[in-house]
Amino acid sequence: MPGIKLKNVKKSYGSYEAIHQLDLDVADGEFLCLLGPSGCGKTTTLRMIAGLENLSSGELAVGERIVDCPETATFIAPEKRGMGLVFQSYALWPHLTVEQNVEFGLKLRKFAKAARQQRTTEVMEALGIGAYSKRLPSQLSGGQQQRVALARMLAVNPDVLLLDEPLSNLDARLRLEMRAELKRIHTQFSTTIVFVTHDQWEAMTLADTIAVMNEGTLQQLGTPDDIYDRPANRFVAEFVGSPPINILDFENTGDLVQGAKKFLARRHSEISGVGSVGIRPESISLVAGQDGLSEGEFGAPARVAAILPTGGSWIIELETGGEVIFMNTHVAPAMREGDQMWFRVPTRALNVFDAKGNRIYAADQVLAAAAA
Amino acid sequence: MSETAQSVDRRAGNRWVTRLKYRTRIAMREPTTLIGILMAALFSYLVVVPIVSILLDAVQTQFGDARRTGTEVGGWTGYYIHRTFLSPIAQDMFWQPLRNTLSVAFGAIAISVIVGGILAWLVSRTDMLARRWFATALIVPYMLPAWTFALAWTTLFKNRTVGGQQGWIEAMGFTPPDWLAYGQVPITIILALHYTPFIILLFGSALRRFDSQLEDSARMLGASRARISWSIILPLMKPALISAIVLIFAKCLGEFGVAYVLGLPVKFDVLATSLYRNLGSRQTGVAGVLAASIMILGIMTLLIDAYLVREARKFVTVGSKGSMNRLTNLRGLRLPATLFAAFIFFISVGLPVMTLFLSTVMHVPARFTWENFTLDYWIGTDLDTVALKNGILLTPELWKAAWNTLWIVGSASIVSGLLGLLVGYAVVRTPLRFLGTFLRQVTFFPYLVPGIAFAAAYLSLFAVPRGPIPALYGTMAILILALIADQMPYASRAGISAMMQLGKEPEEAAQVAGSGWFHRMTRIVVPIQKGSLVTGVLLPFISGIKGLSLFVVLAVPSTDVLTTYSLRLVDYNYTQAANAVVLIVAGLAYFGTLTAQKLTKTNLAEGLGG
Repeated sequence: MPGIKLKNVKKSYGSYEAIHQLDLDVADGEFLCLLGPSGCGKTTTLRMIAGLENLSSGELAVGERIVDCPETATFIAPEKRGMGLVFQSYALWPHLTVEQNVEFGLKLRKFAKAARQQRTTEVMEALGIGAYSKRLPSQLSGGQQQRVALARMLAVNPDVLLLDEPLSNLDARLRLEMRAELKRIHTQFSTTIVFVTHDQWEAMTLADTIAVMNEGTLQQLGTPDDIYDRPANRFVAEFVGSPPINILDFENTGDLVQGAKKFLARRHSEISGVGSVGIRPESISLVAGQDGLSEGEFGAPARVAAILPTGGSWIIELETGGEVIFMNTHVAPAMREGDQMWFRVPTRALNVFDAKGNRIYAADQVLAAAAA
Repeated sequence: MSETAQSVDRRAGNRWVTRLKYRTRIAMREPTTLIGILMAALFSYLVVVPIVSILLDAVQTQFGDARRTGTEVGGWTGYYIHRTFLSPIAQDMFWQPLRNTLSVAFGAIAISVIVGGILAWLVSRTDMLARRWFATALIVPYMLPAWTFALAWTTLFKNRTVGGQQGWIEAMGFTPPDWLAYGQVPITIILALHYTPFIILLFGSALRRFDSQLEDSARMLGASRARISWSIILPLMKPALISAIVLIFAKCLGEFGVAYVLGLPVKFDVLATSLYRNLGSRQTGVAGVLAASIMILGIMTLLIDAYLVREARKFVTVGSKGSMNRLTNLRGLRLPATLFAAFIFFISVGLPVMTLFLSTVMHVPARFTWENFTLDYWIGTDLDTVALKNGILLTPELWKAAWNTLWIVGSASIVSGLLGLLVGYAVVRTPLRFLGTFLRQVTFFPYLVPGIAFAAAYLSLFAVPRGPIPALYGTMAILILALIADQMPYASRAGISAMMQLGKEPEEAAQVAGSGWFHRMTRIVVPIQKGSLVTGVLLPFISGIKGLSLFVVLAVPSTDVLTTYSLRLVDYNYTQAANAVVLIVAGLAYFGTLTAQKLTKTNLAEGLGG
């Protein structure tokens, strides 16, 4: 199974630059998610890997083979790259039956009839669409169509699977089932998979590695935990997580921001150049008064403005020092709206960003050491 | 120092070459671009070159005119322009036909807007009886060739100004005056009846889409019904109305058949007949000027339309999903309204078709006695006539013309349908944007040029041998080529929209699966587009069967199609035979349209959009 290497890749359409400069390394057998808002360049990246778009500059290699490089005038056609691609719209061929859709690639690879039929049946059975083999795509439900698209791709055993938001048109339950299915396929065949999505939960649950993109640049490449717990910048911090991360912008003059500034300056003077601090809603907890704070913890008085049950968990809106912040809890709240309390945050849960919004990594060690 | 500069230069040059190589490789990787370039070349030759050729005819001395223009054959001259616009005969040749064309067009527009507007409202927004039936029935006049009605009119109103069989009215003892039998009045009425369906379709569909909530809001604010119609409904209907009016005007510009049949006896010329006359009398240079004038008028009209519609669309709101369409209760007017619709149907379909049919089964016009009826004109033999001694169905020329129609129109439609799909493919897929734009425009251009002017352009280009191409006049090839080019606007639009709808993904999916270009074309693209290919062939085929103005210039007796054959019969005053052939054409066009609609599950209204 080959890996994929993008070096210095740029892509522009006329004067519009869709990908600014992308370096990405997908290891053999890795499950990589390209995550980002729409228009961030993730689909373009996937299509460049597939060969459906060409690079404007840079180099793209699959395994040892360079497949696209304008500088050396190299371009390998998509049909010769041996990849599998599932589209968001599935792109099933409407004039072919399920079976014919699935065996299309096998026919192209000149499989003998018996082998072809055996493989087709095998894949269709594995994905639970064997019963519909004679139907046309228009006679299938969304979930069934999605399975056909997957089966069509898997039938030929491609080295690299590319998936462009394949689950976004499914209902919640099916999506969950298909996620499990994909994960199973990945472990079973140890294929290299590049998966495009704008759904952070999908990325979190599926990927070994997540590449967060925004406006044509790679924001962060890391494991799901990395992305969530140590976002590289404010964009990643704010894009990932729901309810979204609370940001205390140091340009504000409210009491809470001033308090946070003082807190950092007094106890962790070695951290400098702070522009903002991010606090995940679930790292916040409430205590009756200041005595509830452990040594070195950050906290402030807060009024419970609203309690919003979300089924199994609760989002609590707090008014504190001129700011509104949200906390998330899985424990049924004992307080009522209007109660005056204190909120507390363990120091290691503070995400410290500089004025440009980039994470101050040095601060992590300082804060971790303080907590220990 | 200079050496390093040189090597830097060389490296930069090399990089540039590599870049170009890469670009070319990407562009030529698939035959798409190659196909696009071939198509662009083909249509430059089929569309641009003939038009340039006729424009040159207008300003270059033609064979035999050297003495008059004072320059050699092929030299530049303003003689023809002067002759057409300023000379003593300019009145007869250009200005009077122009006035006639305009007055007929505006008259037809005025009548069809009033009649069609009322009918559109009745059909789409009221509780008139048999509303659905009328919605289809009132469109029928458009499915029939316009000069069907002209022949019916002469059959009824003909007087002694021309020879041949008597008209019915005359046979009954009244002599219709010339102004009623020929010229402006009948031409205007017939064109109005023929184009009323345009208004019903375009205006009606806009009315149907109109959201009743907009009406209701005005009513809640206390507006009267008249006020609502005038300041809410009408302004919002303006784009549809403008579109319909401009389309009718553009069609009237090139209208030939009706004016030919009804205008000739009283020398009532319109631009199209004047052009035909000049072509007939070998006035090539003047014909060039006239054809160019018609083209320019056509292009101007449609440009004005594009501008007006764009302006008007700015405030158009498309009915929301919850738009309601309440029908107006006509109460006491229900029956009169229904009778009005029935009357229009009667005079625009029932009466003409009936007249034509009866005229072919009666010896003496308008005598309704049993022994006067006969099938001789259809299937008789050894008739007591100078020529055409057999009934029309036993005349070999009819079958020859029918075969020609099938062969010429059929092959042109199939070719243009396929080319349309290829153009669509190239336009949608080529990475070279200017190529796509050029193809789109060049294939759309014939739409702006009335058929008869386009035919004149073909005559100008292909009447003599040019380079490797022999003289094509008198062959089927010229008809097929002209028809292909004439049908391209529809074919390419159908192709482009079909390819747009298909999107790239099914093809890309095949590509990633390992399928090469040709394999994708034959296994994925064409099979998926089968339906739209059928539409793209069938609809031009039907309009080609009833087409006249393109053929009348280019056909000779041996390449007659049904329409030109019937016109020849009119010229020879074989009234019954001509009427019979026209009935056959009308029948083919009508049932063909119905079949096409059934097969493709489309509606005629959609094909009329622009």
